[in-house]
Amino acid sequence: MDASLLTIQPASAEPIYRQIVEQLRRLIAGGQLPPGELLPSVREVAGFHAINPMTVSRAYSLAESEGLLERQRGKGMTVAAQSRTALSQTQRMGLLEPQIAALARQARELELPAEPVLRRLDKLLKE
Amino acid sequence: MNAVAQVVAAASAAPLQVRSLTHRYDSKVVLDHVDLALQPGSVLGLIGRNGAGKSTLIRAMLGLLEPQAGEALVFGEPALKLSDAAKERLGHVPQQPDALAWLTAAQMFDYLSRFYPRWDHRFVRDTMQRWKIEADKVMAKLSPGERQRVDLVRALAPQPELLVLDEPASALDPVARRELLREIALRAGEAGATVLFSTHIVSDLERVASDIAFLHDGRLLLHCPVDETKERYARLWLPANVAAAAPASPLGKRRHEDGSLSVIVECDAGGAWPEASRLPGARIDTLGLEDLFVEIAE
Repeated sequence: MDASLLTIQPASAEPIYRQIVEQLRRLIAGGQLPPGELLPSVREVAGFHAINPMTVSRAYSLAESEGLLERQRGKGMTVAAQSRTALSQTQRMGLLEPQIAALARQARELELPAEPVLRRLDKLLKE
Repeated sequence: MNAVAQVVAAASAAPLQVRSLTHRYDSKVVLDHVDLALQPGSVLGLIGRNGAGKSTLIRAMLGLLEPQAGEALVFGEPALKLSDAAKERLGHVPQQPDALAWLTAAQMFDYLSRFYPRWDHRFVRDTMQRWKIEADKVMAKLSPGERQRVDLVRALAPQPELLVLDEPASALDPVARRELLREIALRAGEAGATVLFSTHIVSDLERVASDIAFLHDGRLLLHCPVDETKERYARLWLPANVAAAAPASPLGKRRHEDGSLSVIVECDAGGAWPEASRLPGARIDTLGLEDLFVEIAE
């Protein structure tokens, strides 16, 4: 994996370490990062994005504790062997929950009825 | 205390610390009982509006200005009477570098390198080349951006354990700024350097800072880890009819023209927002540091 695969938005309300974990979760769930894939070193990620190395370490440790990554002695971090198969449909839906909740909230604020919103979403999903 | 214990105590002390620092210019209070300590290896971003007292605080922290009250310590030593050994471990870039302007950058580097045992000649050569700055031009004739970069090279070359930068990015273009941030981040992470930098460009700070301090009207309003700041504070918006139920907030409250109210709230240990956020029509917005800063500083 290359450090450029991650997108960092420093101004976001979401802390950078969470952005990294979230993106790893997606890339792994989506199969872009297969089990055993070697992750870039903390230094590479920190250097590429000009972010604090401690933030990257924190993200990696959190991803490790969640079972997404495994620390390989003398090699670095790799995608955990069990990571992909362990995600059920419910878990993958869970990953989408914040975006769905945000969409629902915005639709309510705009006073849009559910029906046209769902129709539009349905169309986008079938594209 | 025996000699060994003294050495250990000095090494583990906060590299930079101020206690109850107070300073006035004429009748205007610029610093009002500021307490601040930097942990070794941390990168503290000091943020505040123009005139908030950032430069005065930095100058007082380093002993370049004698405060009317309070004390400043650098590596545990009084900042006003800093030993040469402590000065060697400190790198400082002032907001407007003007020292030694009659020399060329090459002459200045050659002169200074004799005082610093850990001077990194290769870093100086590589960085000057990468930044395409003429080392043989008298520094007074460099552009402000070039002058600032030369001063950054000057401050980084001795590989300081403590790096203090006052608005380091103000004259830099975006590419040079990104490079500077990368340098700060990696030095803190690998060499274990402690960094203090002041800025009003909040996104710079969000990249590399581990901690953030808000200085407003001479007072320190907030000092905590960047990640925690984002997770702990939010803006609660209440429509006019329930605005009276707003919780008290020491950080910021704004009434809007339609009678609605915005208030900065803090979540409890369990991550729950105050009761008022469950009132009908109430809305919680999580904030980036810039928004939080604007809410607090208005």
